[in-house]
Amino acid sequence: MKNISTSIIKNKLPRYALILLMLVYSYFLWLMIKITLQYWPIQTDVAFLSIKQDYIHLLHYRIAFFVHVFSAIFVLLAGYTQFSNSIRTKYPQWHRHLGWLYVVVTLLFAGPSGFIIAIYANGGSSSQIAFCLLAFLWMLFTAIALLKIIKKQVPSHKAWMIRSFALALSAITLRAWKYILVAVFHPKPMDVYQIVAWLGWTLNLVIAEIIILNKIK
Amino acid sequence: MTIKQLFSLSLISLLTVACNPNASEDAKEHIITEEVQNIDKEKTLSSEQKEKVQHKTAVAKDVILSLYVGVFRSKKMNNKKNPMLENKISISLDSISHDVLFGHSVVAGNNRPFAGKFIKKDGLYIAECKEPGDDKYDGVFTFTLNPQDESIKGAWTSNDKKLAVTERSYDLKKVEFKYNPHQELGDISAEVYQSSNTNSNEFERITSDAGKFNASTSLLKKEDVENMYKRDLEVMRNAIYARHGYSFKNRQMRNFFDTYVDWYIPVSTDISKDLTDIEKKNIDLIKRYEKHAETYYDEYGR
Repeated sequence: MKNISTSIIKNKLPRYALILLMLVYSYFLWLMIKITLQYWPIQTDVAFLSIKQDYIHLLHYRIAFFVHVFSAIFVLLAGYTQFSNSIRTKYPQWHRHLGWLYVVVTLLFAGPSGFIIAIYANGGSSSQIAFCLLAFLWMLFTAIALLKIIKKQVPSHKAWMIRSFALALSAITLRAWKYILVAVFHPKPMDVYQIVAWLGWTLNLVIAEIIILNKIK
Repeated sequence: MTIKQLFSLSLISLLTVACNPNASEDAKEHIITEEVQNIDKEKTLSSEQKEKVQHKTAVAKDVILSLYVGVFRSKKMNNKKNPMLENKISISLDSISHDVLFGHSVVAGNNRPFAGKFIKKDGLYIAECKEPGDDKYDGVFTFTLNPQDESIKGAWTSNDKKLAVTERSYDLKKVEFKYNPHQELGDISAEVYQSSNTNSNEFERITSDAGKFNASTSLLKKEDVENMYKRDLEVMRNAIYARHGYSFKNRQMRNFFDTYVDWYIPVSTDISKDLTDIEKKNIDLIKRYEKHAETYYDEYGR
């Protein structure tokens, strides 16, 4: 999200602010890597899976879960490179390679697997709908962004990629909201889960639209 | 504009990480009222009395061999040693041989036998019974049993005078213990000690969710337990043990069941063999959610 802004805002970010933002982003990426590594070597009764024992016997759930966990972490790398004007102009090859990595991981691995595990989400129909919608929109926005760049429609590509990445960032923001809500309000575990299932990505989309509007101006 | 928003967002999250609000504002003081009781102590038994006792042994058996339950109150204690002021105790009078009374007490996760002489005086039975003495918490029970109102009143003094509590009193009522899976916690909302230190003012709230399901009679599903606080899950699970008469070593659970659950009678320190299949399955399920809540509830993650 931080790099999005660097490329978009016409008045460039002061250097110290950019560094700070990248540090914060790196910190959250580090947390996500730690969460991912909880499941390595592959284990079916740890962490989140300890409360998914009703579904873990389903082969397609198991496959989808591990595909999601071990692929989705790579889309976050895009946060470092894809929204930087200087990287895109100086090293266009890098932008393209990492762009393909992002699109392939999202459309073929993290997105579809996310949709499958969303069907079995904790917290009942409310959070199941939220996560299914999140997975669907994520893939949709990513696909549109890909089509736009194939047609060389760069401004449109940028806008749809900002939307796509805003949804990818829900992995971080959802957990941050959960942390904040628990620390402040001490809600029951599934109550907070149902809230963040929506809050975790809708607010990101709102911010994305604000960023896109500012950019287009 | 956008940068500022991003900044303030990350600032907010950083700030929240820094503050750790404590949910114990409404913690209240635990007030204990001490009751001073007059305890009859008859230490010497004359030979004349002994004979009488033997004649009446048969009668006494029917009258007094039973289970008695009530509060075991501290009277002399060392506050520096973090004493438990009150525990529920059950005293079981098991057999009589000549003028010797055999029984055992169950309190605070400790099941200890005792034996001692007793006499009958003015319709009351007066006994002095010793615990074996090979346990740190052993001592001597002196009590008066009143067959009329089916009560036991007395005192207990520890052998080791360096214990946190060296003298306790008790006023017990005759009860019958029978495992009843239908015993409910009901609509309970209470506070328990947060830490093992009962002098601290840290309390944790138990909500009415803890009594929402009876884990001894109905097989629980994940939907039943997934939206419950860890502490409520713990109470729901321990209610299973309480129905079997388990005497809790865990201070928080003991404090809760002693204080708020009137049907609870501690009669055993090992009930693992008594658990039903439904109870075992529910214990596994609840434990899994307790563990998950403990590790992940307030963590960054899911």
